[in-house]
Amino acid sequence: MGTQRIFSMAALALALANGAALAAPPDAGAQLKVVTSTTDLYQIAKAVGGDKITATHIGEGYQDPHFIEAKPSFVLQLRNADVWAFVGLDLEIGWMPLLLQGARNPRLQPGQPGYVDVSKIVPVLDVARGNVDRSQGDVHPLGNPHYWLDPENGRRIAQLFRDTFSQLDPKNASVYSANEKAFTQRLDAAERTWQADLAKIKGQPVVAWHTSWRYFAEYTGMNIVGFMEPKPGVPPSPSHLAGLIETMKRTGAKVIVMEPFYDRKTAEFVASKTGAKVLVLPPSVGGAKGLDDYIQLMTYDIHQLATAL
Amino acid sequence: MHRPFAQPRPLGPAALRSLCLVVVLVALAAPASAGAQQRDTTRRDTTARRTPRDSVAADSARRVADSIAVVRELERLQNEPRAAPPQQPVGQGGPTNPRLLPDISAVGDLVGDLSSDGSTQDGGERFTVREVELAVQAAVDPFFRGDVFLGLSDLEKVSIEQAYLTATSLPWGLEVRLGRFLMPVGKQNTTHRHDLHTVDYPYALQRFLGAEGLKGTGIYAARIFAPFGFYQELILTAVDRFGEAPEGLTTVEPINKNLSGLGYSARLRNYWDLNEASNVELSFSGITGRREQPVAGGDSSLATAARQSVIGADFTYRWRPLQQGLYKSFILQAEFMRQLNERDPALQLPVGIPSAGFTYAGPDRDFSAAYVFARYQLTRRGYLGARFDTFQDEAASGRTSTAGSGYLEFFPSEFSKLLAAYERYSPALGSATNRILLQATFALGPHKPHPF
Repeated sequence: MGTQRIFSMAALALALANGAALAAPPDAGAQLKVVTSTTDLYQIAKAVGGDKITATHIGEGYQDPHFIEAKPSFVLQLRNADVWAFVGLDLEIGWMPLLLQGARNPRLQPGQPGYVDVSKIVPVLDVARGNVDRSQGDVHPLGNPHYWLDPENGRRIAQLFRDTFSQLDPKNASVYSANEKAFTQRLDAAERTWQADLAKIKGQPVVAWHTSWRYFAEYTGMNIVGFMEPKPGVPPSPSHLAGLIETMKRTGAKVIVMEPFYDRKTAEFVASKTGAKVLVLPPSVGGAKGLDDYIQLMTYDIHQLATAL
Repeated sequence: MHRPFAQPRPLGPAALRSLCLVVVLVALAAPASAGAQQRDTTRRDTTARRTPRDSVAADSARRVADSIAVVRELERLQNEPRAAPPQQPVGQGGPTNPRLLPDISAVGDLVGDLSSDGSTQDGGERFTVREVELAVQAAVDPFFRGDVFLGLSDLEKVSIEQAYLTATSLPWGLEVRLGRFLMPVGKQNTTHRHDLHTVDYPYALQRFLGAEGLKGTGIYAARIFAPFGFYQELILTAVDRFGEAPEGLTTVEPINKNLSGLGYSARLRNYWDLNEASNVELSFSGITGRREQPVAGGDSSLATAARQSVIGADFTYRWRPLQQGLYKSFILQAEFMRQLNERDPALQLPVGIPSAGFTYAGPDRDFSAAYVFARYQLTRRGYLGARFDTFQDEAASGRTSTAGSGYLEFFPSEFSKLLAAYERYSPALGSATNRILLQATFALGPHKPHPF
């Protein structure tokens, strides 16, 4: 009976404390603490938040965002955060739940203003239709999560951060709005300089390693005729590469686009059989030295691709 | 290059006023509409006063006219350009789980034992489905999350491996669980057996905590600290008892009749990032409780309660370069444990039986055990591992037994694993034996986080 009493009292205390702590608002007057899953979200958040926020990111730009380790040091970052912004569409499914559970931060629970699933505000490509199972590889049933590589989605992300920060920190809403506008104007200006490169890229056949370049292709008009991966997340097999080499010869694909974290040797092998060029493009801010800005990243990727074609 | 995108916005005060006005107008119009319907009825009554022939002719003409109108409308619709295909969905549109179903997953653990001296599995099988684990997990409400893991096996049939409620919104960085959970004692004990990089738990855990790991039913409370700039976590538990009740031993009184008979554990985790590619964890654990120990001199099932504690330290070094993390990684892990046994506990005997002739037959000394494990990633999907175990064997009066083993792991994907193992086991008494083990595990259901 003694044990039962202890358990009952513990359960009661737990329920009371649980309700009391739910969704405590951020401290008034303090900078918003923002943590993002990727460097791209981090950089856009910084552009919108300016000096009114402090921001950190979990993944690095040269790292595969699917396979980030849920280190306890990341838990410390999330423990006191006001905003957790992530790409969504299951990109972070392999590590985000451990970090959020470990952080025990009520402000970052689903449904709270600080829990920002950025995918909710972008048009999504490759949403699975019909029956989906893992025989199709490491599919993302909710859609392709690499949407930041379309600059229009960069604008939408900036607008989302403007609205989120303004909701959590209304007194600085005008600052966030002005910063978002400035970001958009910078992006507009950059976009005007891309036109010559985009004209070179449009319709050109290329091979990509992973489906991460689908949004980039939609924007630039590059024609992805094949993927190095036979199925998403599945490393290339010899038989698949043989078929891919045939496809490249048939379509005249001259470039293999790949991320810096994949094995270049396999791509070089395919390139040697087809006369194509391997182009390592960073898919995220920080993916190459000096690319510390979202607009720089897009400018660099578009120009590199246009030059290679 | 701007593409317009309509983002839903919350209604402002002006919009709300307009909405209210529309609602009021609709409410006012509703009775008028009802009245109009009544007037129509009156009109029908008026037409009913015409002759039947007039009425039939008029109805027939109206039907023909209506039919022609319908056909023309259909033709017009068919000639219209088809409606544009739906736009790309924006975000995740509606709810992805409208029925609020929990995540349901299953993990199969298949083991083959090709050891030269016969199978070393519990049931003596050469090939066995060692366990199937079913997991049901979901948020219970805004305050709690629920996790249930059921184990299915030929030996244990159905067992509740874990079933706990986690408070998700506690203040002060607290995490509290109620229910049954893997005890936070040592490093590998909190990893499900099928998620290990070896076939079995290290001997230290098997001997001191149980072959399938140590679970407990009770309260779990954890808090994160960082007073020195690095991650620290203190985990405390109070559980119904320390370990499972041994078969064939019975105490006169329940082992947990008093609160001192419950199991209590503490674990302090310390974690440091050495650089972006490598990190270290050094942690300390302890658990204490009363356990059934044999009493000699009477019924062989007679047992008495004796305090047993296990204290230990564990160390893990991880290396995974971020850019090449898909292809390269290394783990070095070691644990040391010491089992502390009460040597001369008071004997609990049935009422009326004199204590003369009864003696305590439980462990009369302490025991130590340790292991070192390393795993190196060879390719994107292949790993090579090795483990060395050493432990003082209670069955051999504390003399030391050792085991050395090697592992080749292959992951066709994140959801399946094939493992081949060779182990040379050198017991304190008797001759060395060789074990050859094969293992295949597979996971069905939602993508689970990768264990860290």
